[in-house]
Amino acid sequence: MASERKISDERARERLIDLAAEFYDQFDAGEIPHMTLPTRTKSNIKYDEDSNVWVYGDRTSTRSANSVRGARKLLKASYTIEFLARQLEEDRSSTLRELYYISESWDNEEAHFSDQDESNKLIEDLEIVSEVKREDFHMRPEESGAKLMGPLKIREQTNRGDREIHCQLDVGQGGYQIPNNPDTIEFLEHDVEFVMCVETGGMRDRLVENGFDDDYNALVVHLGGQPARATRRITKRLHDELDLPVVVFTDGDPWSYRIFGSVAYGSIKSAHLSEYLATPEAKFVGIQPQDIVDYDLPTDPLADSDINALQSELEDPRFMSDYWTEQIELQLDIGKKAEQQALASRGLDFVTDEYLPTRLDEMGII
Amino acid sequence: MTSFQSTLGDEPGIAEELAKGQREISIAEFFEKNKHMLGFDSGARGLVTAVKEAVDNALDATEEAGIQPDIYVEIAEAGDYYRLVIEDNGPGITKEQVPKVFGKLLYGSRFHAREQSRGQQGIGISAAVLYSQLTSGKPAKVTSRTQGSEDAEYFELVINTDQNEPEIRTEKTTSWDRPHGTRIELEMEANMRARQQLHDYILHTAVVNPHARIELREPGLDEPMKFERATDQLPKQTKEIRPHPHGVELGTLLKMLSATESYSVSGFLQEEFTRVGAKTSDKIHDAFRDRHFGREMTWRTPGATEADDLAAVVEDAVANKGKEATAAFADELVDIVVGKDRIAHGELVTIVENVAETVGEETDTSFGETVRENVVEALWPALTDDREGDVYAIVDDVTTTQKDDAGKLSMARSIATQFAETTGPADRATRDDVAEFVAWAADRTKEREDETYGETAQENIADAVWSRMRTVSDEVPKVREVADDRDVARDLLDAMRETDILAPPTDCLSPISADLVEAGLKKEFDADFYAAATRDAEVHGGDPFIVEAGIAYGGELKSEGKIDLLRFANRVPLVYQQGACTITHVVKDIGWRNYGLDQPGGSGMPNGPAVLMVHVASTNVPFTSESKDALADVPAIQDEVELAIREAARELKSYLSKRRSLQKRRKKQDVLGRILPQMATKLSEVTGRPEPNIDGALGRIMNNLTVERAVEDGEVTLTVKNYSNTNESPDITDIVSAEPAGLDGEATVVDLDGEWFVKWNPEVSSGETATLTYSVAQDASFDINVDGVETEKLTVNV
Repeated sequence: MASERKISDERARERLIDLAAEFYDQFDAGEIPHMTLPTRTKSNIKYDEDSNVWVYGDRTSTRSANSVRGARKLLKASYTIEFLARQLEEDRSSTLRELYYISESWDNEEAHFSDQDESNKLIEDLEIVSEVKREDFHMRPEESGAKLMGPLKIREQTNRGDREIHCQLDVGQGGYQIPNNPDTIEFLEHDVEFVMCVETGGMRDRLVENGFDDDYNALVVHLGGQPARATRRITKRLHDELDLPVVVFTDGDPWSYRIFGSVAYGSIKSAHLSEYLATPEAKFVGIQPQDIVDYDLPTDPLADSDINALQSELEDPRFMSDYWTEQIELQLDIGKKAEQQALASRGLDFVTDEYLPTRLDEMGII
Repeated sequence: MTSFQSTLGDEPGIAEELAKGQREISIAEFFEKNKHMLGFDSGARGLVTAVKEAVDNALDATEEAGIQPDIYVEIAEAGDYYRLVIEDNGPGITKEQVPKVFGKLLYGSRFHAREQSRGQQGIGISAAVLYSQLTSGKPAKVTSRTQGSEDAEYFELVINTDQNEPEIRTEKTTSWDRPHGTRIELEMEANMRARQQLHDYILHTAVVNPHARIELREPGLDEPMKFERATDQLPKQTKEIRPHPHGVELGTLLKMLSATESYSVSGFLQEEFTRVGAKTSDKIHDAFRDRHFGREMTWRTPGATEADDLAAVVEDAVANKGKEATAAFADELVDIVVGKDRIAHGELVTIVENVAETVGEETDTSFGETVRENVVEALWPALTDDREGDVYAIVDDVTTTQKDDAGKLSMARSIATQFAETTGPADRATRDDVAEFVAWAADRTKEREDETYGETAQENIADAVWSRMRTVSDEVPKVREVADDRDVARDLLDAMRETDILAPPTDCLSPISADLVEAGLKKEFDADFYAAATRDAEVHGGDPFIVEAGIAYGGELKSEGKIDLLRFANRVPLVYQQGACTITHVVKDIGWRNYGLDQPGGSGMPNGPAVLMVHVASTNVPFTSESKDALADVPAIQDEVELAIREAARELKSYLSKRRSLQKRRKKQDVLGRILPQMATKLSEVTGRPEPNIDGALGRIMNNLTVERAVEDGEVTLTVKNYSNTNESPDITDIVSAEPAGLDGEATVVDLDGEWFVKWNPEVSSGETATLTYSVAQDASFDINVDGVETEKLTVNV
């Protein structure tokens, strides 16, 4: 395993240096250094029939030294490549935020990042052109991955050696913390029937407290808002490697549908990694606009921004299905949204005793 | 006054008493009291004005004699006064003329001439003399030497203000080192508070007179201010032109009429005015007739159906002639008359005369004067039977459909009545008469039909009626008669003004020309950019004029505050009353932001390091006052000033935008010139390869022309790559310390004291590369110089 890791590090490093060599050759041929990237906008993602996920389309944009801006970007790219190559050589890792601060130490002021957004975007650019994931550059996000709870035993390679952990028996109430690079995890054995991804921490805690994972052999994954890559990746691996159905349980508002969208179809920002991160077979549990009507849930009115978001989802290729069109139009019609916790208006156990079993049964999961 | 009134009857001698206090005022006396009108309102200003008048005269005199002006101005303190000396190298003034030129107001050669000149009224220099004598009591000292004469004449003179005549105090011959020229020395009460205006005046004079050499000395200057000649080219000699018919006033016209030797108005017009030939003269005559005699109304003729009735009328009127002859006469006459659409009384008279002649001859009958008159008298009422219907058609034609028919009928009836009752049998009326008829008709219609015909409606009807009236063919009055009658002269003047006449010729003007405007600016202002424009001649009030504008920008010009505006009229700088001048008004109204200059609020004087000069040349410059400081707001001149400024400003705009884009380019080049090598260094570190050559990339990014030299074993290769999108032809000079060999004729080699200049001028199209190779001894050194390409667009790597 360790040697495998070394090989992947070496490959990542080579790819980075190849990229630098490409710029070098462009200079040498009297050409203007440039790199070409797919255009990362909603209008340039398309459904890939083979993998059932959304990937970038054919439109590209070029980062070129032709302008002062472009030249600065490429200068920063060169510095970042050097930094990443050295990091791999030394087998160290750093966070995206650290990269931003590290740039401050570079001798050349022109190469300093002006904000973290810039350094994050550059890492994404490098991911795309080098076809190496940032995890393989040893770059990790600041926020930790989410937590698992359920009848699953895994082995994780840590800096301090391999650890075998059972995600129900060996962990506390909080569950097992997913590492930043979930590809370092090996699944050992499990009794999991399905994977239940939950948006809010409150609802996750409710399910755990009510023993939902135990009762239904569910692996509860806490998404914690827009899910981190690691969370999406482990979900994908659980589905692909263990052949488990995946369901997503969120609030009933447009932003939560996007959370589902990024789990199931991939996000616009990381569409180049959709095949690696997205789980197209994932199903949406709720809260559905239909549930608001059926269960007469306590609601908030839709704000203008909610309405805009819903309307933009109607035009989002990821949501162009009969199911979503119907639900979104219903929501625009009733003009209301509801949180997961709204189910508590019918009692604390309502969600585990009534709502989820009914929905999961409908969906053919249990 | 009341007390006089009460005693008027008692003292019949009061008018005589008052008359004792009344006497003629001499012009000199008048100006003594009104110095400000001539620019002598203060000591500071008086000095500037005196210099100005003397320098203007000097320039006029030298130019007229075809001499390149060399003018010396000196101001020195002399006790309580200032002494002013102005010397020129002009043709000099004859002994007889000197006292009059300097000692008599309103004496000059210019006043009656229609030609561009600096001075016009002959007031300027004598006013300076007058001012000096009034303030210091000292006479003017004038030295003048005409070309070829042994000695110079020296005068000391004052003006007798009662008589406006010179009073010579001293007169003698003297020697003078100048071969010809004039020198005037004046002492006056003055001060140097207007030093800036004085300097401006001299500087600006130098700008618009690049052919002149001017030197100024004054107590505040350590070194004399010297302005050298920038050109040997003297201004074009102007020709005097006769007045243009559009440019004379009634008084002038009357004077010209009484002075002319012509007998007929036609001869007078063609002799005394410019641009009047036989054809134009005829046009003026017609317009004159319309005014003087009025036109005759034409009426619709009855149709052919009434020919028999009309013939009967004619036959009745012709008494005692043979029956056949009478019938032939009547048929012929009526045939012609009904064949016409409309007919005027005068026309009928002519037709009757003609028919009487021809038919008389054919039938061997005499239709004499009496018969003719009788026929006209009988036939005219028959022809004009339906005046009302005729006028109704006209009124109906030009009146809006909203008006009541009853109103229109009333208008038509009233107008027809006016013709019938007031114009006599010939229905003659002037345009004014017609307007009165219509106004009267409108009053009556308002009264009777309660329908209002407003001014526009009345005007339309009057125009329609007038257009159907016919110019008479009466002989116009002779010159003598016109000269004797103001009203007739007024009619002639109106006719002249109304007639379209070709613009006056422009050889009476001498513009500086765009080239010399630029040369003048270059000479006195150290700027980065110069532009100038000269407009074609235009006319205002019969006087031709030409407007020129020039702009200097950047360089050493002061960049804070407003731009400098230099105003000139007939090459004379205007240094006072900038705010009152039409040039200033025009400049302030232009949106300078469009031309790349800062203009707070989008109007007013723009800011920035610029000098704007505007020159108006005309045979008659319209000043706001006699002190000639500011041009009056004449729309025709304003338009041309604006167009001239805009023309020059457009060049400024393209210069500034080009400069800005070059600045941006330089900035980009600076940044990229820093970033890209750093990137290249980093890349070579990462890849472990030597540093790449980035000049090609840099040249390509900047759309540049790159010049590179490679030397290998004494083989020199110069490579020029053109990355721009235009064709370039750089002038490349490679200075080599050893003799180059193997040049294939594309380049030339010049040997200069052991250095060889390899000159190469390749045409390199966009995207192409040109190379030059030659061989030299191993240890040769090189020095390359590339011209013909803007530095910002050039990357030299040798």
